[in-house]
Amino acid sequence: MNSTLATTAAGDDPRAGLRAVRSLRELADRLESLQVERARDLGWSWQDIADALGVSRQAVHKKHRRP
Amino acid sequence: MFERFTREARAVVTDAQIVARSLHSPAIDTRHVVIALTESGGTTARALRSSGLAPGTIASAVRREISGDSGLDREALASLGIDLDAVRETADATFSDGAFDAATRRHGRGGHLPFTRDAKKCLELALREAVRLRSKDISAGHLLLGVLRDPRSPGARALSAAGTDLPTLRATLEEAA
Repeated sequence: MNSTLATTAAGDDPRAGLRAVRSLRELADRLESLQVERARDLGWSWQDIADALGVSRQAVHKKHRRP
Repeated sequence: MFERFTREARAVVTDAQIVARSLHSPAIDTRHVVIALTESGGTTARALRSSGLAPGTIASAVRREISGDSGLDREALASLGIDLDAVRETADATFSDGAFDAATRRHGRGGHLPFTRDAKKCLELALREAVRLRSKDISAGHLLLGVLRDPRSPGARALSAAGTDLPTLRATLEEAA
């Protein structure tokens, strides 16, 4: 049973695998927006956040700056 | 066209926008219109009830369907050993209650939500239904007939999936119109 469970994202059915990948991306996006918002509230600079995420300051600023 | 909408029909369109926002949808489609119609009370709610299901039941089912579009698939994540409920619980404990479900991608926030092509078409079809039924106003009932006119529309499909008998519903609405 566990072997079938563990093979979806890396498994041979593209539909199930892609759905798992999409879910992971959505999950990561949500956690990222929550964490970035909190870091900003705690006074982190965009550069600090960018370094922690391993992306450029411009990228993180463009994505998370509040309108 | 909007000047011919009854007060109730206008409220449905506004409510569809509120529903879409509360579900974090990127646009308003006919499913949001269906939810607004089921929750509006009045003639459409009565017609829905006569076609076999409580409006509240339909609204919950359609809301669940839209939430399922968010891309977060509980089973897919479980297949990777990730417990979505545990992640949600941890996030809500760290940030605030409901924070995880409210968190969305940052782009496209604020401002008016656009109507999908399907939703725009449903408004046009509502006008056509009103003309066909010789009504000078476009009512909430005409809006629902507009949704039903195209059986492939997301709203009609969702109603059908929730267990509504569409031909019965259409007949009831036409009788009431």
